[in-house]
Parts: sequence; structure tokens; C-alpha cells
Amino acid sequence: MPASALFAATLEASINKLLALDSDSKARLNALDGSRMTAFLSPIPFGITLVFSDKVDVLIEHGGFEEVKAQLGAKDCCIKTSLDTLPALKETSQLTRLIQQKALYLEGELNVAQQVSSLFQNLDIDVEELIAIRTNDVFAHQSMKTVKAFHEKSMSMLANMGDVFGNALVEEKKLAAHKLAVMHFSDEVSALRDSTERLDARLRDLEERLK
Amino acid sequence: MSDNQTSSAGDVHSSSEHSLSEEHVLENDVEQTAEQATDQKTHFGFKQVEKEKKASLVANVFDSVAAKYDVMNDLMSMGVHRLWKRFTIDCSGVRAGNKVLDIAGGTGDLTAKFSRLVGPTGRVTLADINLSMLQVGRDKLRDRGLVSNIDYVQADAEALPFPDNHFDVVTMAFGLRNVTEKQNALNSIYRVLKPGGRLLVLEFSKPTSEQLSKLYDMYSFHLLPKMGQLVANDAESYQYLAESIRMHPDQDTLKGMFEEAGFEQCDYQNLTGGIVALHRGYKF
Repeated sequence: MPASALFAATLEASINKLLALDSDSKARLNALDGSRMTAFLSPIPFGITLVFSDKVDVLIEHGGFEEVKAQLGAKDCCIKTSLDTLPALKETSQLTRLIQQKALYLEGELNVAQQVSSLFQNLDIDVEELIAIRTNDVFAHQSMKTVKAFHEKSMSMLANMGDVFGNALVEEKKLAAHKLAVMHFSDEVSALRDSTERLDARLRDLEERLK
Repeated sequence: MSDNQTSSAGDVHSSSEHSLSEEHVLENDVEQTAEQATDQKTHFGFKQVEKEKKASLVANVFDSVAAKYDVMNDLMSMGVHRLWKRFTIDCSGVRAGNKVLDIAGGTGDLTAKFSRLVGPTGRVTLADINLSMLQVGRDKLRDRGLVSNIDYVQADAEALPFPDNHFDVVTMAFGLRNVTEKQNALNSIYRVLKPGGRLLVLEFSKPTSEQLSKLYDMYSFHLLPKMGQLVANDAESYQYLAESIRMHPDQDTLKGMFEEAGFEQCDYQNLTGGIVALHRGYKF
């Protein structure tokens, strides 16, 4: 069973489910009708093509970037980059720098890439409403309130913990003993241990004589 | 006397020669008749049937299973047939504006996807010899709102009713093993493909591992007919399915048949340990 097909099926189902949850995404999807975007994201060993119509179809490209590049249509776009670089693509001002650094290869219609980016970045899913449809308004509201409060508290705790650890590190560094002092202390402990062992030996010797 | 004897002996010899040659002719006739009978027969599962009858027998099978075809496919393959079909589409290289022929397209699983991939400028032809399957496929696709770029054609894969060099891609998923003369079908597909076009045949094949093969035999000959009986109330059709899979050419034989039809750069990819294989060939 080709794992790539399973990956594509899962990705396709997830994308279409997400888009269906945001009614405003339809207009953005319509703008992409008939376009396709292929992305080669290392270390993923194959290319992923998104074909846009009234929904998004996901195909797996077993050929390479050059092969796809040669077959690009008027409304097609192809990018090659790495998963690590992907977050940097959010800022369009970074594109030129990334292309110059050869961290990003972009062929075809740039508008398509921008529209795809906008399609996903502008997703606005009202989770509370979705829960309300399946349960009721009060439960949905309380659930979301709890989740939000928990999220805020967690974030605040994380921020506090970060501060505490940061301060501790800075302050403790000042108080921390110098490496030479630690070595000197270790030597003194060793000398004390030797003296104690000598004393112990003498005491045992005296005990033997008294017997 | 001696002449007579000779003559008579000669006559006898001649007569015996004559009767021998008659026997020989008779034997040849019997052999030829047997050969002709064999030529006129083909397999229908493990049974030998006359070639003219196979199409109607296969039609009976599919008439019987059409309504429950999708459910049974999901059940029998545990949903994996969707991944096999998805892989076929990935390998098709279909682009917007292409003309695609989905032979033995059945309930239109491949056609639905192709319809979106080729877009409004392309066309997909769903062809099947069986009217029941075609009707189920058409209803399913229409229910999904796929109407604008799909044609439905009841057609025999051995004599495709399309012009030469017409399609960019031809696919046949789980249909070739039901065709009476597979080579004729491949030749016919070759004719309708455009130069540069490709044929993809997704079909049950020979498992690559002995252990998997035994497990698969157990599953398909014991469990499959029972599932067919339970869900589709038809054990015989699913017994035929298991038998027809065993009678289908293995991976290398089918690749050879592709080459014989004229396809180039032929290759195949085993899926799920060779239970299914995807054969691909190009027309240049």
C-alpha cells in the first residue's frame, strides 16, 4: 500500500474539512479555481500538488521539481523549499532574500502561491458555534470559556516560569563559585579525607596494642 | 502371379496407405476441431466457457453486484482500494484540458477525481460494457454535482468506439481481467491514445510473497464469497471474482502484453505486496 497515497488522502480530507468550516473561504477558493500549486518540501521525499476547483484535490508528484516545472500551465505554480523555511514564507518581504539564498525556488504564477497562502492564513473557524451545533449554546460557551481561561492561565504560567528561570540563571551565575575555587575546595576535601583515614588507622593500631 | 500378388499386395498396400492417410486426416480433423474448440473457449473464473458467452456471463455478475458494488469494494479491501485508485491518479499525470478515458469505470471512482483535475476545458469519458454499472456510476457522479465535463459511453474495451489518437490518458481499474480477449482490448486502447499519451491498468495480480499468497487465497476463496452472500446476497459473483483474479496474467505477462500492443516504457508497480499491480505504458 503506498504510504504516500494515505498521506495525500488524509491531507485532502483535512484541508477540505477545514475549508468547509469557514464559510468565507469559499470566495478565496473560487479565486483559485483551475489553478494548481506543487510544493516540494524537503525532507518529504515527494512533491505535493494542490489542485483547486470547488474543493481541493491533493496529488502526489513522484517526479522531481524540474519535471513539474516543465509542465507548468498558465495558472500553475511550483515551489521547492524545506519544512524549516516554511514559516518564513509568511512574510512576503522575506521571499527575495530566501530566493537569493537558494532556500526557496519558485516557478510559475506567484499570485497563485500568494492566494494559496491567503486561503489558509485567513481561515477563521468559529469553534464555539461548531460545538453549539452538536451540543447547546450554554455548554459550548462554558467549554470555550474554560478552554480560553485554561489557555490564558497556562500561557501566563509558562511566561512566569520563563521569567523565574531566567532570573535564577542570571542571579545564580553571579553567586556561583569560580571553577578554581571549586577545585581548591575539592582538594581540601581530599586532604581532609586522607587525614581522617590516617587517624582511623592510628586509632586501630592503638586498640590492637592495648589488647 | 507374383505380379498379381505384387499387384494385389500393392493394392493392399495402397489400400492400407489410403486408409492410413484417411485416419491421419481424421486425426488432424479431430485435432483441429479440438484446437478450434479450445480457441473458441475462454475462462470464466475456473470454468471454460465459449468466448461469445463470457461477456454475457460477466454482465450477469455485474448486473447482480452493481447496486452494492461500492459497499462491497470498501468491505472487501477494507477501504484500501481507494488508496490504490488514488495512486493510479497520482501516476496519471493528468493536467487541465486533458481528455481522459476511464474504461470499465464502473461506479466512477476515478472519473470523479479526473473530472475535477481536467477542469472545464477537459473531458472525461466513463466507459463500461455493463449498463447497470454505468447507470450506478452516472447517478453517483450526478449526485455529487459532477455533470459538466463527463460523457457516459457503453462500450466494449475490445472495440472502442472512439477516433484514433483521441485521449491523453486511458485508465482501466479492475476491468481488464473481465475482458474476453485482453490483447484486443490493449490494441484498441493503443489506437485511441494520442502519441505521448499513457495507459494505466490497475488490476489484481500475483502476490510477491508465498505466505501472503496463502493468506490471500484463504481470504478470497473462503471469506469473500461469504461476505458476498451476507452483504450482496450473491456468493457466486464473489466466487467468480476470486477465480478470475487467479486466472488473470501475472505482472510480467501483462507487461509483455502491453509491449505487444505497442506500448513503450512499460513498467509496473506492485501495491500491497503484489495483490494489486499498476501497469503503465506510453504511446509514442
